[in-house]
Amino acid sequence: MADKVQRIAESIYSGDVEAVGELVQDLLDGGMAPGEVLSDALLVGMDKVGRDFKAGDLFVPEVLFAARAMQAGMDVLRPLLADSEIASSGKYIVGTVQGDLHDIGKNLVRMMLEGGGFEAIDLGVDVSPSAFVDAVREHKPDLVGISALLTTTMAQMKVTIEALEEAGLRDSVKIMVGGAPVTAAFAEQIGADAYAPDAASAVDIARELQAA
Amino acid sequence: MLHPQTNVTACTAPFYRALSDEQCRLIHGASLEILERTGATVHYQAAIDLLKKAGCFVEENRVRVPAHLVEWALRTAPSHIMMYDRSGNPVMPLGDRISTYGTGSDCLNILDRGTGERRKALFQDVVDGICVADAMPHIDFIMSMFLPGDVPVAADVRQMEAMLVYSSKPICFVTYEWEGTAEIIELLEVVVGGAEQLRINPTAILYLNPTTAFRHNEGALRKLMYAAEKGLPTVYLPDVQRGFSCPMTFAGAMACANAGQLLGLLLAQLVNEGAPVILNAAVPSTIDMKTMVLPYVEPAGRSYSLEMNSYYELPSFSTAGCSDSKLLDEQAIMEATLGLFYATLRGGNMIHDVGYLESGLTGSLELIAICDEIISWLKASLQGLEINAETLALDVIHEHGLSGDFLESRHTLRHVREDWQPRLVDRHNHEQWQASGGLSMHERARAKIDETLSAGPRHVLPPDIERRIRTITDSVVAARMK
Repeated sequence: MADKVQRIAESIYSGDVEAVGELVQDLLDGGMAPGEVLSDALLVGMDKVGRDFKAGDLFVPEVLFAARAMQAGMDVLRPLLADSEIASSGKYIVGTVQGDLHDIGKNLVRMMLEGGGFEAIDLGVDVSPSAFVDAVREHKPDLVGISALLTTTMAQMKVTIEALEEAGLRDSVKIMVGGAPVTAAFAEQIGADAYAPDAASAVDIARELQAA
Repeated sequence: MLHPQTNVTACTAPFYRALSDEQCRLIHGASLEILERTGATVHYQAAIDLLKKAGCFVEENRVRVPAHLVEWALRTAPSHIMMYDRSGNPVMPLGDRISTYGTGSDCLNILDRGTGERRKALFQDVVDGICVADAMPHIDFIMSMFLPGDVPVAADVRQMEAMLVYSSKPICFVTYEWEGTAEIIELLEVVVGGAEQLRINPTAILYLNPTTAFRHNEGALRKLMYAAEKGLPTVYLPDVQRGFSCPMTFAGAMACANAGQLLGLLLAQLVNEGAPVILNAAVPSTIDMKTMVLPYVEPAGRSYSLEMNSYYELPSFSTAGCSDSKLLDEQAIMEATLGLFYATLRGGNMIHDVGYLESGLTGSLELIAICDEIISWLKASLQGLEINAETLALDVIHEHGLSGDFLESRHTLRHVREDWQPRLVDRHNHEQWQASGGLSMHERARAKIDETLSAGPRHVLPPDIERRIRTITDSVVAARMK
């Protein structure tokens, strides 16, 4: 049993998506409780991934594939876990503002959030303020992430936040902003709740906002 | 005396190839396949229509380009572009493997030379940067250098105004939005004496960054087409980042970058056959997969791809004289030097971003001065060896060889000033160096900048033209304030 738990953690670390699903099923068949598989195998594996990434030993694509491997394990467990046991950290919407077609940072944030246990909904690029509003209304997220890469499209972040205010939805979400020209000072100026300088810290900050 | 001799090949410059013809052909072939099979999304209807009319396959905004159109565009685009100063003198030839150097645009911060602190850039820094670039003998073209944090509206208009008022060197400029581009180009036309004059003696180049090789945004396309119509040279550089918007491996990444640029090239030629376009034909960007920072300097890639420009016989644009360091320190000088060396060796025509630190976020005036010295050194090091009767000096050798007194020969006097002369590099002995202050190179660079700026900016335009420019920019800014 302990050996199989170890192998799951290792398979997550090495991003072996196929192996994780099989091994998780194996453990369940052997009588281990789903909640235990989650905490002792999956989360332990991802935890090491997170630590080693912060220490500069893992590259981002390796983190992303590890997250995918963990998701494969979660897919097997999810129907068996009680609502209270599911380690979903929250629902998060991301999008790049209107007029801006850049998406690398946004995609990275989305992928890192999913790896961190969030449910992330990606609205894509060139997202109008009204599209953000509609998405918040429909999905009722906990957090909204807004991205802009150009000094010329940054202004749309404020417009988007104002649109959410007008729609009476501003207080129902926490808003995080990011992108090359964005700063903490700018975030404060436009009334965002937080600023993240990169995708890794975005996950940490998202957790903090969620807990608050 | 050397006797006349035929069939002598004098290779007067170092010979260097980054890629073989075969490798270039393979990249080119891959780009043709990408354009024909995968294509790109084009986010401007007028561009889509033009491409469709020319024979591209269009599905909504996805455009695929048949190879023959690319081949045609490569033939019609000019291999040489001569850039002029504001008075119509030819000063900067682009093409072949001739290298010219310039600063960069829109750094958010400056490494203050007085305090050493990194602070937000202001408009005064833009003016200072232009003055420094104007004064440096080995800087050939200017860019705005800084994004002024104290200019809330139309900073790009103010930047162009400053570049026109304080320097005559060719300009490479950025406009923030499509809407302001025509007004900024109009400033150029006023200075040189009209649109036709600007077309004949181009003195500025419009720099464009479409979103990626696969995603050409409306703003970049509109500007490209407008500039092509006017015959104004453009740099069309979509960014592709390895492992994000193109493959992790270099060859595939280069093929993507190349494909994206060729699409821009084609569009410009369709608007105006012979429109001057400058590319870095296959340059992909890297994003450090641990820090997510886009390094400005790295061992491979950035100037490696310049070989494609030689292959295509198209003028090229490159990046060097810059660093990812946060300080003007050993890393900064190492990266600036290696970058400049390779960009020059690999035949970069316009080598920009001299003076950039922190991966393009912070600028340093001292670094511009130091790079000026590095470039001067490089020029001297890449000169060919001249072999003739005078330089072999066999008679002089016969006269002074055995006695060892060449110092007394007129031949020595004739040639003593030909060597490269250091301006910032110090070669004194220790006592002499101590006596003149015992300064580091950084300190000498700082002193040079202080000296350069002490006289204040020089006004290069006739007063009435300068007044006219300022009137126009004031009204543009006022209109945008509303």
